Amino acid sequence: MKAGTGRVRRPVPAPAIHSPEGSSIPGEPILSARGITKRFPGVLALDRVDLDVRAGEIRAVLGQNGAGKTTLMNILFGLVQPDEGQLYLRGRQVHFRSPHDALTIGIGMVHQTRKLVAAHTVLENLVLGNPGARGFLNLARARREIGELCQRYGVVLELGARVWQLSEGEKQWVEILKALYRGARILILDEPTSVLTPPEVKTLLTGLKALVSDQGVTVLVVTHKLPIVMAVSHAVTVLRSGRVVASLRTDEATEQILVRHMIGKDVSLRLTKAPVEPGRLLLQVEDLSAFSDKGLRALRGVSFVLREGEIFGVAGVTGNGQEELAQVIAGLRPTAAGRILFDGHDMTLRSPLARWRLGIGYIPAERAEVASIAQFSLVENTGLNFHFDRAFSTQGFFDYARLEQLTERIVDTYDVKAPHLHVQAQNLSGGNLQKLILGRVLSRKPRLLIAHLPTQGLDVEATAFVRGTLMETCSQGAAVLLISEDLDEILALSDWIAPIYEGRFAAILSRGEADAETVGAMMAGLRSEEAGAP
Amino acid sequence: MRLGRYTLTLEPRPTLSPLHAVLTAILAIFVALALSSVIFLRSELGALSAYRVIFSYAFANPNGLFTTVHRAIFLLFCTFAFLVPLRAGLWNIGLPGQVYAGALAAFAVPFALQAHEAPSPLLPPGLTVLAMVLAAAVAGAALAAFAGILWAKLHVNEILVTMMLNSILFWFVSYMIKEGGPYMGATAEGESFLLPDALRAPTVLGVPFTAMLAVGAAALLDLFFAKTTLGYKIRAFGLNPAASRYAGINPVTLPVLVFVLGGAFAGLAGYHNFAAIPGLYKISGNYGYYGDLAFYGIISGLIARGGAAAIPVVLLFAGLSLGARLVQGQLHLPFGVDYALLGLLMMTFVPFLILYRFRIALRLAPKALPQISADVPEA
Repeated sequence: MKAGTGRVRRPVPAPAIHSPEGSSIPGEPILSARGITKRFPGVLALDRVDLDVRAGEIRAVLGQNGAGKTTLMNILFGLVQPDEGQLYLRGRQVHFRSPHDALTIGIGMVHQTRKLVAAHTVLENLVLGNPGARGFLNLARARREIGELCQRYGVVLELGARVWQLSEGEKQWVEILKALYRGARILILDEPTSVLTPPEVKTLLTGLKALVSDQGVTVLVVTHKLPIVMAVSHAVTVLRSGRVVASLRTDEATEQILVRHMIGKDVSLRLTKAPVEPGRLLLQVEDLSAFSDKGLRALRGVSFVLREGEIFGVAGVTGNGQEELAQVIAGLRPTAAGRILFDGHDMTLRSPLARWRLGIGYIPAERAEVASIAQFSLVENTGLNFHFDRAFSTQGFFDYARLEQLTERIVDTYDVKAPHLHVQAQNLSGGNLQKLILGRVLSRKPRLLIAHLPTQGLDVEATAFVRGTLMETCSQGAAVLLISEDLDEILALSDWIAPIYEGRFAAILSRGEADAETVGAMMAGLRSEEAGAP
Repeated sequence: MRLGRYTLTLEPRPTLSPLHAVLTAILAIFVALALSSVIFLRSELGALSAYRVIFSYAFANPNGLFTTVHRAIFLLFCTFAFLVPLRAGLWNIGLPGQVYAGALAAFAVPFALQAHEAPSPLLPPGLTVLAMVLAAAVAGAALAAFAGILWAKLHVNEILVTMMLNSILFWFVSYMIKEGGPYMGATAEGESFLLPDALRAPTVLGVPFTAMLAVGAAALLDLFFAKTTLGYKIRAFGLNPAASRYAGINPVTLPVLVFVLGGAFAGLAGYHNFAAIPGLYKISGNYGYYGDLAFYGIISGLIARGGAAAIPVVLLFAGLSLGARLVQGQLHLPFGVDYALLGLLMMTFVPFLILYRFRIALRLAPKALPQISADVPEA
């Protein structure tokens, strides 16, 4: 590895570095941060953060949204410059002016969102931007080198495949390989499991462990998922509000301890819905099919029933027809075949507005793009669900005063943190925006709630709040169609569980029949049973 | 941008104050006039005197002032015709076509009643005028609705449709008023018949009643967008069509509706210009000039972004276009001085709009990491 660049400062003997963990973790610190402080306008993103990453370890950096994880990683990768503090590589001070400097020194980053060219092959993507590929491309040499690299790291990838043909898990490996091919020996992975199926997560974690133990690569995993931390890391650093609150060996930690560090108080992680006496039949979906925006048959003959007080959980990896299912039931997408009965009435052809009036509430996955209007104030955003409500208008005039009162109630009840009610929605964090949307939709007292990825990207506290609210809604007699990628969420909340794969339900399982392994395999299309009606 | 030890950045302003908007607009006007003075360099009069002539004719001379006001009313209707669809995120570029449609429909009423030759026994003159106004609004609305329906139902680009309709209507007017056309005047060539005295729009102090319609609409339009549910729905649709569809706003009727409203305003502009301005009362041979002028509704709509705020903008545009025409004749300047002036004004407004929304900040650049010793501090 090339460590010697012009930016390396005077060398210091490695042992001089004071380790905040004491000597409990063996190994020599390869990458250290001291007193890193970063301010953004009005926010102290990082406050004197110290971090020691030891050679050949998997270090988890855990924290809620807004804890400063991503900022810290961006500083380690040279994307962001710290206001104060120093970085050391093997005891020598380094200064990254850009990611290029970090890459030269052997630090690679795999971002949460893929940065690949979909129409190009894996090989072309790996060569793209590689300093060795300046001028004329020597694809044959690149293929040989990458082939060796794959062999050495035990990565199985078809180099000639187009990236759009790959699964999310394979794309992730392309990203990792891209970093390794550029000579990275320290890998930073930002929320690496957010779009993977359970089997893909397993493959990734096994692969990472092998990279570390066999090849001596050092890995930093940024996540807010506790099971990932527990499964893969050697040590974990917990950030809260820009500060390091704990740094400990994973085998000395428990999920409960980590949560307390992360949030600063105990939060019940294991919310489970109490079983209900099935109520009146509310929703009947019969052999429903729909096309995606690309004109492909994304939903292929789905049937189920939903009773009052029940949660019907659709578990699947995004892109298997869930969005189409939610939109068809909300009236935003035409049905290609099949019908939807609500309370005994056929509403397959009814407009979205008619469905709102009937008592069907919809919380879309795209909270910033579809469920809210960024430039509208909180009050105006509340109006999205009330502009058609006679109680909120007199003779064509919108009762903004009343809308403001309602918004204030929502903000109070749902604990939406906002400077005031007239701030634009784009200034709200994802969790607060989601709470506002949830409160707004539930204020309509819907009889059926369609919740699509309701806790995606939310931190532990907001997630617990949203899940609790969904269960409370059910206990008041509403039915919930919960569509989620989070298997734990589905298993904890649902009375019925339907793993969806390529537009079909692999099965409809009752709570008692479903376990993580079965559902996970079905989500990945590995197993399917005859769908039995509940 | 880095300037030595400083960084120059463009930052969005947290709050947008009305006073600041007015000051930015005035500054923009002065810069535009300064830039335009190049046009007058070749004349013996000099730029300052040229501007004095322009402004004194447009705003101080009684004849000029009347013409300015009449033209401003026309532009105000055109501004609203553009502004209403714009709030829904749609671009009504069909102002000339809708103006022509309004004029043709207005003149169709007396034509059908044969009232342009002798007083009609069917309808008293007062009601005929009212029918003309309504016909103009309906015709403009119908033409614009065409673009709205095509957009909402088939996703045909509204800019293309309205542009093509402009061309169609331009030649349709030509057919109607020129030699052999149904509206051809009895004596004049290439013009429509003259409205009889009884069917001319009533005036108050020399200003036709359409002025009250326009100013009233200016106030109501702001109220409409700020307070009504329909105004809310239009704003929501304009900012985020996906979110408004989610919220149950009809993605077909709403776009058609904004085009209908906009087109009605443009139709009224057509009525005002050809049937209400004292001294004209006919579809003149140079109707194309007024069609081109209607495009300034787009510019003033983009600058003003609101009903009442559009009034000073259209007055300025009207005055400058008239005054510049006059100077062009007096100073023997090449043709097109008025358009050059308006064009420069429009081009300066765009960067100043950015200045209004953003502020330029010059800050001391964050110091490069200090050249400190690498001794690690003991915590």
